[in-house]
Amino acid sequence: PVAVGPYGQSQPSCFDRVKMGFVMGCAVGMAAGALFGTFSCLRIGMRGRELMGGIGKTMMQSGGTFGTFMAIGMGIRC
Amino acid sequence: MEEYAREPCPWRIVDDCGGAFTMGTIGGGIFQAIKGFRNSPVGVNHRLRGSLTAIKTRAPQLGGSFAVWGGLFSMIDCSMVQVRGKEDPWNSITSGALTGAILAARNGPVAMVGSAAMGGILLALIEGAGILLTRFASAQFPNGPQFAEDPSQLPSTQLPSSPFGDYRQYQ
Repeated sequence: PVAVGPYGQSQPSCFDRVKMGFVMGCAVGMAAGALFGTFSCLRIGMRGRELMGGIGKTMMQSGGTFGTFMAIGMGIRC
Repeated sequence: MEEYAREPCPWRIVDDCGGAFTMGTIGGGIFQAIKGFRNSPVGVNHRLRGSLTAIKTRAPQLGGSFAVWGGLFSMIDCSMVQVRGKEDPWNSITSGALTGAILAARNGPVAMVGSAAMGGILLALIEGAGILLTRFASAQFPNGPQFAEDPSQLPSTQLPSSPFGDYRQYQ
């Protein structure tokens, strides 16, 4: 954890934790979106350039969703 | 999600359940507000009322399903802690997969497998991100007594344990 003992540094502030949660959720969501987006886009028959666009869109969407939820999850705990 | 300060085991279920409900309700509120605002007829009054209706109908549902997921997840997690006698990322991953399987049990075995894979992969990603984050944080802020004493005075074996090995030895 980021919390550091009695030497010097203090706990990260609430906003820092929310930000960290958002970034972490965004990363997780993008990775998950890359995985699941590949499957679902292949399943509905996208190939080539269109497939890349579809995967990117799914990655962005799920990254945003996950990031928001993770940020909220961090926010309600501090 | 809650890798940081987790409650001791029986109370973790309640904590996770409530936390997941709050998270789902707030997040669902945000997303449903946007969706209701966009789906309503033109006019600020209509749009505001539409987003309110969407929040009132959908956000508690989303919160409820989050709560079910969180509660079942930490129940299985706690059972596995009891059974295996240790807490590690595999507990979370397995319980995520089991939760996905159990919650999709009424949709048939194929849906169960798909949902279990989804839950397991998702939890594996989250756990991996948590581990990476912990490593990064402990590499960036090496905690320990080097604020009190000069690190160069210490023997190198007492330096704070960094995940990148003892990189200071090769300088």
